[in-house]
Amino acid sequence: MSQLQKNPDAIVIGAGIVGACSALSLTNAGLKVMVIDRGTVASGTTGAGEGNILVSDKDPGPELVLALRSRDLWFEMQEDVGDTFELEAKGGVVVARNDDSQLMALAKVQSANGVTAQVVDSKELHQLEPYLHPEISSGVFYPQDAQCQPMLAAAKIIQTVISRGGMLVSRSKVLGFDIKDGTVVAVNTSTGKYSAPIVINAAGTWAGEIAALAGSNLPVAPRRGFILVTEPAPQYIFHKVYDSDYVANVASSDADLQTSTVVEGTRSGTILIGASRERVGFDGSMNYEILRKLAQQAVSLFPVLRDVQLLRAYRGFRPYAPDHLPLIGEDYAVKGLWHSAGHEGAGIGLAPGSAALITDSILGRNSFMDATAFTPKRFAEVTV
Amino acid sequence: MIGIIGAGPAGLAAAKVAAEAGAEVIVLDSAPRPGGQYWRHRDDVQGYKSHRAGGYFDSVIGSKSVTYMHGAQVWSAVRSKGSITLNYLHEGSEKTITVEKLILTTGAYDRSIPFAGWELPGSMTPGAAQALLKGHGVIAGKKILVSGTGPFLLPVAVGLSEAGADVLGIVEAHSPLRWLRSPLALILNPQKALELLYYLRKIRKYSLKVSFGRAVIGFNGKTATLSKVKSNLESKGEVTQIGCDVVAAGWGFNPDVTLGGILGCDQRVDRDGSVIFKVDKNQHSSAANIWIAGEATGIGGADLALAEGEIAARSALNDSIPFSLKFKRFRLQLFATALQRSYTVGNGWQGWIKPETKICRCEEVSHAEICQSVTELSAQDSRTSKLFTRAGMGLCQGRVCSRNVSEIIAGESGCKVTDQERISYSNRPIAAPISLGVLADGINPQ
Amino acid sequence: MSTSAKREVTFTFNGETFKGVEGQSIAAALMATGVRELRKTRFDEEPRLIFCGIGICFDCVVVVNGVANQRACLVEIAEGAKIESQK
Repeated sequence: MSQLQKNPDAIVIGAGIVGACSALSLTNAGLKVMVIDRGTVASGTTGAGEGNILVSDKDPGPELVLALRSRDLWFEMQEDVGDTFELEAKGGVVVARNDDSQLMALAKVQSANGVTAQVVDSKELHQLEPYLHPEISSGVFYPQDAQCQPMLAAAKIIQTVISRGGMLVSRSKVLGFDIKDGTVVAVNTSTGKYSAPIVINAAGTWAGEIAALAGSNLPVAPRRGFILVTEPAPQYIFHKVYDSDYVANVASSDADLQTSTVVEGTRSGTILIGASRERVGFDGSMNYEILRKLAQQAVSLFPVLRDVQLLRAYRGFRPYAPDHLPLIGEDYAVKGLWHSAGHEGAGIGLAPGSAALITDSILGRNSFMDATAFTPKRFAEVTV
Repeated sequence: MIGIIGAGPAGLAAAKVAAEAGAEVIVLDSAPRPGGQYWRHRDDVQGYKSHRAGGYFDSVIGSKSVTYMHGAQVWSAVRSKGSITLNYLHEGSEKTITVEKLILTTGAYDRSIPFAGWELPGSMTPGAAQALLKGHGVIAGKKILVSGTGPFLLPVAVGLSEAGADVLGIVEAHSPLRWLRSPLALILNPQKALELLYYLRKIRKYSLKVSFGRAVIGFNGKTATLSKVKSNLESKGEVTQIGCDVVAAGWGFNPDVTLGGILGCDQRVDRDGSVIFKVDKNQHSSAANIWIAGEATGIGGADLALAEGEIAARSALNDSIPFSLKFKRFRLQLFATALQRSYTVGNGWQGWIKPETKICRCEEVSHAEICQSVTELSAQDSRTSKLFTRAGMGLCQGRVCSRNVSEIIAGESGCKVTDQERISYSNRPIAAPISLGVLADGINPQ
Repeated sequence: MSTSAKREVTFTFNGETFKGVEGQSIAAALMATGVRELRKTRFDEEPRLIFCGIGICFDCVVVVNGVANQRACLVEIAEGAKIESQK
């Protein structure tokens, strides 16, 4: 067994996008990193994601600051890892179906906070999206919004980590931690014990379960979402297009079903349609009425989609914290145990930014922003 | 109301029993005419003992209590308390029907394994050659080679010969001596000897060349490359070339378990690696009021499907099942097991393929790309490889390639394909494509 | 049921006129005349004809009267149908 396998400099739990970016960030800072996953790369929510890298759907505040930096880091990562995950500065178009006052107000505030938000009139809107329903006349264009293929990204990033001295231990279930004098010293798994002074819990929707093994409370819960995937179609959609309901839904705590319209094309020609949000635990069963609703919403924005066929649908569980902000930082009780989880539907977009934040924190460096808003310590007193 | 999905032998047998009992039945089948794959016909069915088909067709089409919806493609289904709702596409719009009891008899499709050139025009399954002939009166090409393994190659080759096609031969990978491993199955199924004699007469009549222990491992559109193969399908060398414009290659069958999976019926992996449903002695699945019969409970051919379909319907009607019928099913199941033992598909085919051979035909994903997803991107199962390479994400949603992708990955990564993975790649939440407009419009009232 | 005389059906494929027999699938009617290619694949532009022949594999997709992804092995020829290779 190699030295690395017994004593890496850091262990990252979770080979999804957040874990992958965290591992790369630490690797580039000179550490030898081991990534552990109970499945393999992108087996969790990353494997059910669309690849959104958005600034357009964020209210001003710490999450927006993180999103803006993270978006730029995606392009820096492409320079580092290679153009291998279909990263595209596609741009987002947000449309208002009826009353556009909320959207315009948001755009104004976002503009004052570092987001390029171009209000477009009806003519410009239909130039950006020629197949958009002719009656939709109001929208905002966000050129900073981008998209990638998230599973490929996670895989390529981990491949880079491995090429720089790291390793991936897949099909390894974390069973517990060795904690000595309030500091984590090792991770116990189904494939053996691995010692490291630094452990990052990037287990996404299951991060709460991992934290509980260390006696810690990390209130991450699943929020189910469905995505429709069509047959390969001609290019009808040129940007990521969504309606302004999307923003309100993300910030809501409502357990009941919420849907908004999100439509975008992909390199392979398929069109992805979302978005739904429900708190149904880990119920993975298909719900055809939700699929109908998503289809209805999509064809109301793009009537041309009526003749495009649905081929498949899948669901994922977004990890979210009660206040809808991610958890990035050291555990409130166990030293050396760090968390980067609870990114809800923004995990892809926020991953490299979160990785930079947590690497800086671990190495005691100043970072691009104050991470206090994300600290897991904010839930230290709360019991579930 | 009893719903029956699939109008092949199993579905027709079930419909006949239900019709004779006067029960209200709706039969949904996606093809324009009944018969499934075994009893394809234009005006009349041909083939061994095909005269049986007529009686079954009449019972379905002629009966007052049977509603027969052909061209009806069920795309989704939902179970609720005491009923099952079926959503299907018919003549361009969506319809729905709710039944109290459901009999699933959705059959199977040819299993294919890739070889260099299998993507080319002229390379097809034996089922395709048969469908063209029986369903449409067309011979697939000028010089036809039938290859692969299993007794299905016989009726295909013979049917083509009878229609005047130039069938160059039957290239069977296994030795017929393998049947000697299953003496009980042969003893209990003497009727199969008659069937064999029928085919032997035809083989002689048309001077069909039959070779054993060989397989087509390459094709370029005009010439097929044959190799001697071991029992695990590994090439032994001794390569020959045959000029032909059609290679009809088949390696057994894959049951289509999509609809039963959508309805939550428990599945298991059969000894040949195919995914089938768990049913009890009454053909009842793990889900209340859902019976499953035919290939989906284990590949076994038309006779077994007829017996199972009859049992399923009798059980659905709360009728007793005569011992003779149960024994018939038993001895035919023994025969089906013997088939599986005699016509195995080992992993040796992975040595036939070239790096550029497309494993996923729909998305054009090559063998090299799939291997790369393992070695470079750490994929260890077909689901993950699918996420990286798009293999299995195309129009057929993995029906043709998923099993092969899994087995290639297992070979590449030194792992075995788990039962869970087999069940995972065999299921999908949408059984047939449906346009977004039709989906959005909800249901058309019937 | 006896084989009664079947109607001839005329249709076009990529602009060329073809004749088939009522009840035949598009694939069958074309293959009967010796057509060996229905389309070229969208990435590598490789020729395809039919593969499974029973509507499972979608290898044989064609555009029928402007509607894409129609399986030529299933869809029957109709008088005056305009059939084209799918890109």
